Amino acid sequence: MAKKIAYLCKGCGLGEALDFDALTDVLGENGIKEVKDAEVLCSPEALAMIKADIDGGADKVLLGACSARVKTDEFGFDGAVIERCSLREQVVWCSPADDDTQKEDRQMLAEDYLRMSAVKLDKCEKPVPFQLEGEVAKAVLVVGGGPAGMNAALAAAEAGSQVFLVEKEAVLGGFQAKMYKLGPQTPPYRELEDTGLDALIAKINGNEAIKVFTGASVDKTEGAPGNFTVALSNGETLRAGAIIQATGWVPYDPEKLAGDLAYGSSPKIVTNVQFEQMAKEGKLAGINSIAFVQCAGSRDANHLPYCSAFCCLVSCKQSMFVKEINPEASVYVVYKDIRTPSQSEEVYREAQRQGVIFIRRDETYPTISGSDKLTLKTKDVLLGEDVSLEELDLVVLATGMKPNNPVMVEAPLVAFGEDQDAAKALAEQIKAANDDWSILNLQYRQGPNLPSLKYGMPDSHFICFPYESRRTGIYTAGTVRRPMRLTQAKDDGIGAAMKAIQAIRAAEAGCAVHPRSGDESYPEFAMQRCTQCKRCTEECPFGTINEDEKANPLPNPTRCRRCGVCMGACPERIISFKNYSVDMIGSMIKGINVPEEDEEKPRVICLACENDALPAIDMAAAKGYKWSPYVRFIPVRCLGSVNLVWIADALSSGIDGVMLFGCRRGDDYQCHFIKGSELANVRMSKVSETLTRLVLEAERVQVSEVGITDADKVAELINGFMETIENVGPNPYKGF
Amino acid sequence: MDYKQDFAKEVYEKVDSGAEIKVCMQCGVCASTCPLREHMKYSPRKIWTLIRAGRRQEVLTSPDIMLCTSCYTCKVRCPRGIPVIDVMHGLASYALSQGITPREETAKFGSVFWAGIYGTGRVDEAIVPIQYCLKDGLVAGLKKSLGMMDIGLSLMKAKRLKPKMFIPPNIAIPPSHKIKGIKELQRMLDKAKALGARKEG
Repeated sequence: MAKKIAYLCKGCGLGEALDFDALTDVLGENGIKEVKDAEVLCSPEALAMIKADIDGGADKVLLGACSARVKTDEFGFDGAVIERCSLREQVVWCSPADDDTQKEDRQMLAEDYLRMSAVKLDKCEKPVPFQLEGEVAKAVLVVGGGPAGMNAALAAAEAGSQVFLVEKEAVLGGFQAKMYKLGPQTPPYRELEDTGLDALIAKINGNEAIKVFTGASVDKTEGAPGNFTVALSNGETLRAGAIIQATGWVPYDPEKLAGDLAYGSSPKIVTNVQFEQMAKEGKLAGINSIAFVQCAGSRDANHLPYCSAFCCLVSCKQSMFVKEINPEASVYVVYKDIRTPSQSEEVYREAQRQGVIFIRRDETYPTISGSDKLTLKTKDVLLGEDVSLEELDLVVLATGMKPNNPVMVEAPLVAFGEDQDAAKALAEQIKAANDDWSILNLQYRQGPNLPSLKYGMPDSHFICFPYESRRTGIYTAGTVRRPMRLTQAKDDGIGAAMKAIQAIRAAEAGCAVHPRSGDESYPEFAMQRCTQCKRCTEECPFGTINEDEKANPLPNPTRCRRCGVCMGACPERIISFKNYSVDMIGSMIKGINVPEEDEEKPRVICLACENDALPAIDMAAAKGYKWSPYVRFIPVRCLGSVNLVWIADALSSGIDGVMLFGCRRGDDYQCHFIKGSELANVRMSKVSETLTRLVLEAERVQVSEVGITDADKVAELINGFMETIENVGPNPYKGF
Repeated sequence: MDYKQDFAKEVYEKVDSGAEIKVCMQCGVCASTCPLREHMKYSPRKIWTLIRAGRRQEVLTSPDIMLCTSCYTCKVRCPRGIPVIDVMHGLASYALSQGITPREETAKFGSVFWAGIYGTGRVDEAIVPIQYCLKDGLVAGLKKSLGMMDIGLSLMKAKRLKPKMFIPPNIAIPPSHKIKGIKELQRMLDKAKALGARKEG
């Protein structure tokens, strides 16, 4: 039998605002007999008291004080399940208390939160970290031996890891090996510099912790973080704990520029990659006049819609190659916008100092004609005239980069069940959009590649977790992740190496990586009730769950990021975490005290994403916004973990309305679990069936996007919804 | 029009501070900064573009290269640190050396101003305007000075010009009130001119 104690804080105005005797009674009715209060719960004396109680055997502790997002150090006790009930942000700070009715509503609000917390504490177990069978593989596998891959390998080895570096070419180096020289890298940024490749390769070869496999690629990748088994094309089999994919980039196909920029019409029209090779082979002599055309296919909806972020720098550098041999040569760079961020600006400036002429064009491509000596005609927008460059010995097209990664887009939402034809059509559509080659050949239920968003770049919340892919323990680095220049790719490799090591440590400790770092809970499946519907295996954003031949889910907890999307998906409700389950949230909802209809006190629950929406709510409360005291917030790990049964439970127990606060969805999503918010939205669109069955209005359920910066719109959203509920009228199920 | 690099090279080599314009990135801060922008056909930024495009005639005959009042705002604000006014004066001087007078009135005023400095070592605020007006002859000079009457009155109101300045012996034509060491000053100026001519030559 668990020993439960509740502590209530009287600080921050809580003592004056609430009736603590009544709160103590409510806790007593809900199974927590021992309730202590303190003038200031975060004072050293009070903290010492809590610690002493936990040491004395209390294993479930309820703290009725401030939000769980603040004072995490003070209230971070080991050895007990801690439930923090936010009486400050979600009760006292946000509810009006101008008259006796409002004060009564506020007291009811506090009591409901304590009831929910008591239920939650009752249902919570202390998580037991998942342990992989056998020894955890600690090696880092780096796929791709270019600048990002080499630096990743070196960084991981220097941090103490065993590293396998796999490169498909016969030698290391990637594009760095194809380069003639680098632009100026060090102050005062005047000289071209050596690529430094030989020294880097020597360092890698000299490091005993790095094992290099050249001329090899990956045939098959099985397993999960901490336990990947990778078969190489040369017959070797490796065990790795985490993988870094640094497969670099491929140049944009210049044949596609035959129409726009006359590529192929003359051997004197070359790409920047071909020009680099010419420079390396010493074939630049005799150039008296040359033009570089920037954005050759880049930032163009018909070719590459994005900026590749390196071509401006490279053209500045390559123009210096020409000036190095012939300082008197006329060198022109025809550009739309020069984009040379950070130190690249110095290279731009140095090219200018050497007399390179930059001509700004408009959106239309220049016309290039001639065969031996070329003529380039363009509109010079800074001169305001059409100009022509005559007698050019060479025209270089600065083409952009495409990620060297097979495109794998996932179904935007899951179609199954009722409409089999639609599901098949969607599957065909997805199959056609995806490439049929692979780099890692993942033996995952959801496909062999890293899922990509736009343009085929592997993606997983670009802003907050740059290196993560949607496959835990597999990180992308360098130009495969996004276009970048060499110096950035080096840093990127180092960053990914650090993430890979973290992932191995997390697999070892049995806890989650980003964004729920350190979370020791993981989903457990009550398999005897599984109906093999495949929803969990289809919908998991991280490809956690494999399937056996009979479509039974085979979870891989080290791949899991603990979002609970599977839990939200499961129609049989067999998936639960030790401290988060369908039953737990369902019971919390049922714990809310719903007044009779004639009391005219409606009740609304708001299921709020704890990553973004909940902080926004806290901030709104801290800013002094007030909203209806009839709303009860229930934090969820992700809106994707919301199971439809909660909505049905709420409405059938007399709750008047349900709000769902989640992150932005769509192509520029902000969801920490990629498609949780998207999935919730799709599921809620199907909730109307449930509502119709219950003879209820569709307006009673509303999904809203609330970002972390949306504190100022929270109160408005809630009060707007309360008006809707008032118009719709009370839930007819009250009192049943 | 073709882009030709000959004139740009000429400017880099022969015009005072001419090579500094190489680093211009055409942001246009000089143009938006210049208090005389509305009187110009070509802003400094545009002049640099014309130089790069090889438009020798357009640049050297442009009155705009002789319009600068040396307020220094452009030089202070240029993000690439180009001494815009130095280049402007350099271009004006270079045009004159090539037998081109980009802006007649400025050139006239300049020659009077310069003659005063060279001859006496100082600028006489009463004599310079008189000499400038009389440069075209008596009748034209009177017309010109009447045309500039509002400026004269404004200067008087601001006490920058006083009637007694025009009463002898306060005024003497030709100017006779020389500084001490005028010979040394003249030697310095001669030397500077020779050095400049060597670059422009």
